[in-house]
Amino acid sequence: MSRRHHILLALSAVALGTAACREATVPDAPSAGRETLTVYTVNYPLQYFAERIGRDLVEVVFPAPGDVDPAEWRPDDETIRRYQQADLILLNGAGYARWTRHVSLPAGRQVDTAAGFPDQLLEVPDAVVHSHGDGDPHAHAGTAFTTWIDPLLALEHARAIKEAFRDRLPEHTAVFEQSFEALAGDLRALHGELEAAVARDPDRPLFASHPVYHYLEARYGLKLESFHWEPDEMPGESAWEAFERKRAEFPASWMLWEDQPLDETAALLAGRGVESIVFNPCSQPPATGDFLDVMRENASNLHRAFAPDDNAAAP
Amino acid sequence: MIKLLPLIRHYLVYHRGKTVTLTICLTTALYLPLTVHSLVEMLQAEMVRRAEATPIVIGPEGSRFDLVLHALYFHTDAPGTIPRKAAAGVGDSGYAAAVPLFVRYRARGHPIVGTTLEYFPLRGLDIGRGHLPTLLGDCVVGWQVAQRLGLSPGDRLLSDPENVFDLGGAYPLDMRVTGILDPAHSPDDHAVFVDLKTAWIIEGIGHGHDDLDETADPESVLRTEEDRTVASPALRTHTRITPENLASFHFHGDPGEFPLTAILAFPHDPRSGTLLLGRYVGEESRLQALRPREVTEELLGMVVQLKRFFDFHHALMFAVVGLFVALVMLLSLRLRKREAETLFHLGCSRGTLFTLQAAELLILLTVSAVLAGAASWTTVQAARTWVQTLSG
Repeated sequence: MSRRHHILLALSAVALGTAACREATVPDAPSAGRETLTVYTVNYPLQYFAERIGRDLVEVVFPAPGDVDPAEWRPDDETIRRYQQADLILLNGAGYARWTRHVSLPAGRQVDTAAGFPDQLLEVPDAVVHSHGDGDPHAHAGTAFTTWIDPLLALEHARAIKEAFRDRLPEHTAVFEQSFEALAGDLRALHGELEAAVARDPDRPLFASHPVYHYLEARYGLKLESFHWEPDEMPGESAWEAFERKRAEFPASWMLWEDQPLDETAALLAGRGVESIVFNPCSQPPATGDFLDVMRENASNLHRAFAPDDNAAAP
Repeated sequence: MIKLLPLIRHYLVYHRGKTVTLTICLTTALYLPLTVHSLVEMLQAEMVRRAEATPIVIGPEGSRFDLVLHALYFHTDAPGTIPRKAAAGVGDSGYAAAVPLFVRYRARGHPIVGTTLEYFPLRGLDIGRGHLPTLLGDCVVGWQVAQRLGLSPGDRLLSDPENVFDLGGAYPLDMRVTGILDPAHSPDDHAVFVDLKTAWIIEGIGHGHDDLDETADPESVLRTEEDRTVASPALRTHTRITPENLASFHFHGDPGEFPLTAILAFPHDPRSGTLLLGRYVGEESRLQALRPREVTEELLGMVVQLKRFFDFHHALMFAVVGLFVALVMLLSLRLRKREAETLFHLGCSRGTLFTLQAAELLILLTVSAVLAGAASWTTVQAARTWVQTLSG
């Protein structure tokens, strides 16, 4: 006899009772009845946006150690459990922080802050495609995820955060709206600075030490060629050979770095007529200042790279 | 009356065979309806409790009984599957919190319930030992599962293969037990809970394997084409998820189309519940939304005739036992005719003789009632967990 029949037989012994009209509803969320939210993020830019918008109504935690790339970080069990207990988990979206795909997080408390602009996400080219047997071919690499370096996409991230806060603490909507507008103003101003910098010589080619500037390239029409160099590592001989080959066909005289490169690397580049400038994506909290300070400095550096006079650095 | 008691006691003890037979008959006649009635009351209360704790169930079109029994008790197969995005639609509607379920596989005979972390607070489930799942491949088990299988946090639990004769089918997944739930006296005690993504890995939608570009085993690669590497069936897929191979796990297809077998919806208020139900009315909807309480009552209504049969059966049995007792008493009176005449000649009135017989019967009835009550109470207490697990 199947278990279903077992239940049906059990049911058959039950008189048709008068059920009470009480109905269960959603139990209180962790934040219910509280004036503040505990918010966990997967990178520093989201932490910055959340703190700017939420002010003292939110406690924002970004628990990754300072010496790791949050995109490649993998939290331990204890940290995952802290994420599970947060009122809100802010995700960058665009495939960022792959660890979130491999852990259990409460679905209803996650906010994909890139969900509002799927049509602006960029695919990473040259991903290795493969298939299993005669199954459909597929690729595991996917979307470029350093979305926040484009100030207008950063604005959309911030908008998603504001809406998440407003949904959970609707009585403080005015505070969130006001804070968001202030942040939006700063981000639009930053966009203006970057736009003005590039406008000085829009066709100027640039090297990028690492392929993390897709959204900057798309927004401002940069002409970028990327390598896979790390600021704290001296490129190997084969890397320099690849650089020389690329340089022959792509006469860039500036290279963007995520952080200050080694002096030796910078000197070797300078010897080849390529100056180094830092455009820090700022996925980790800076030693001094905040996200906006770093981005303004990035814009200033870019302004220098696009200055007509500096074009003389090219061979 | 009191003076007659020694006489009655001696008689009952002397005719102990008859006394015991009558006591058993009367006890049984009282015990059965009493116990069945108590169990039925308990079943009814527990079933209503489980149904009321689940305001709305959403699932594929098909048998609504199958859907509700599946979503509440994990026993039956769901009528089909629905896409994951349906659960997102419930949440996005603003009317309710949605808890998706994917229940297709078993581990040592216990249902593996793929769901999200929201399930636990919504069902009032607490972790007794260990913690909730954190990584792919983690599971928490119900209290009864842990008791039966002797599991503790840190142990491993293998999912059952779907078909032992299908060597090419989905591999069982070796899961890490991260926690044991406190007793809930519900079907949750008999279930194994995993993250939805883990359930989809068991389903075969997600998997982990060696990097095709780096694998040292040439048999893993069938051929290399210009834009893709074709893996051979010999490519080893991981059946145990470890920190080392965790990153290799990935899913194929559109996550919004990944299957669910049901969605539990918890409306924010009664009005939201009504509005949510309204979204699934109409021919264009491929889903059905049900109130489990109504379906349960409908199910009970369909089988109420059987309840009447039970009532009739008990009444008949009680009458038969009554007639049997009457027969025994009449036969006893005939056998005791000489004894009665002797007592009469000794000066005992006919009223006293009647009192003697009636007192014997009253004592037997009293003893039987006490025994039946005690046995019934013991049975109900012993069956309480079973009843709660079955229906609650």
